[in-house]
Amino acid sequence: MTGQPVQGSGNPAAASCAVEQSQIGAVSVVAVSGTVDMLTAPQLESALSPAAVGTAQAVVVDLSGVDFLASAGMGVLVAAHADLAPAVRLVIVADSPTTSRPLKLVGIADLIELFATRDEALAAVTA
Amino acid sequence: MTEPDQSSSGARFSKTDVVAIPEHAASVRQEFSTWLTGHIAVDRVKASDIVLAVNEALANAVEAAYADAPAPGVMHVRADFDRGSGRLTVTVTDEGTWRPATAQRSNSARGRGIPLMQALTDHASIEPTDAGTEVRLQWDVIDAVAAGGG
Repeated sequence: MTGQPVQGSGNPAAASCAVEQSQIGAVSVVAVSGTVDMLTAPQLESALSPAAVGTAQAVVVDLSGVDFLASAGMGVLVAAHADLAPAVRLVIVADSPTTSRPLKLVGIADLIELFATRDEALAAVTA
Repeated sequence: MTEPDQSSSGARFSKTDVVAIPEHAASVRQEFSTWLTGHIAVDRVKASDIVLAVNEALANAVEAAYADAPAPGVMHVRADFDRGSGRLTVTVTDEGTWRPATAQRSNSARGRGIPLMQALTDHASIEPTDAGTEVRLQWDVIDAVAAGGG
């Protein structure tokens, strides 16, 4: 034991989150990886803001690389879906115990379309 | 501080007087996750459920501690695993003021923590105490090797 108190900023244990945005035709793909919790949810929020989405007709939020999704991140998804509709269709790609399972458990999968793969999501929004 | 208290009949994880800020919720969650997978034979889905439920309890304490106080309060986390019954009980307590659900902002982006905790556990309760609020999460039988002995 080093006796280091559990406080202070710059916590080295803070989990990382990466959000990458790309454009495929009229579809904006937001690929998220790592941890989406109350610390990192603002990164996702800004990537899904109307300004970031721009003129895209649909947004595919790909959570395939996410290993932890807390309610803070789910709230961002629900709010973005509501804010962008009906002009922009937002769908989610998720298929793991850490993502699609909790999204289904709290009923978000009933509000926002959920696809197992990015290809399926892209096919749906460009159909 | 973590108490690496362990006996043949169970395992315990305990952190007390953790300042209730988001960074600490994240670090305690990671420590708990390491403890969980190191001490209990849980499958991937159950481990994910448990860590998420505990995270939501920690987030609840962080938000409660922020709500009315000029500075964040502290929270305490304790997990007890009973090898005999296979029962895991986790409590997260804070010293904040309990706010009824109706007093919270009815923003659609919030308020999923409690439904998540209920969906991810066998039993979940949120009780106001004299000192603050206690969130209690329980899983009845989580140890896949409890009956093995092999």
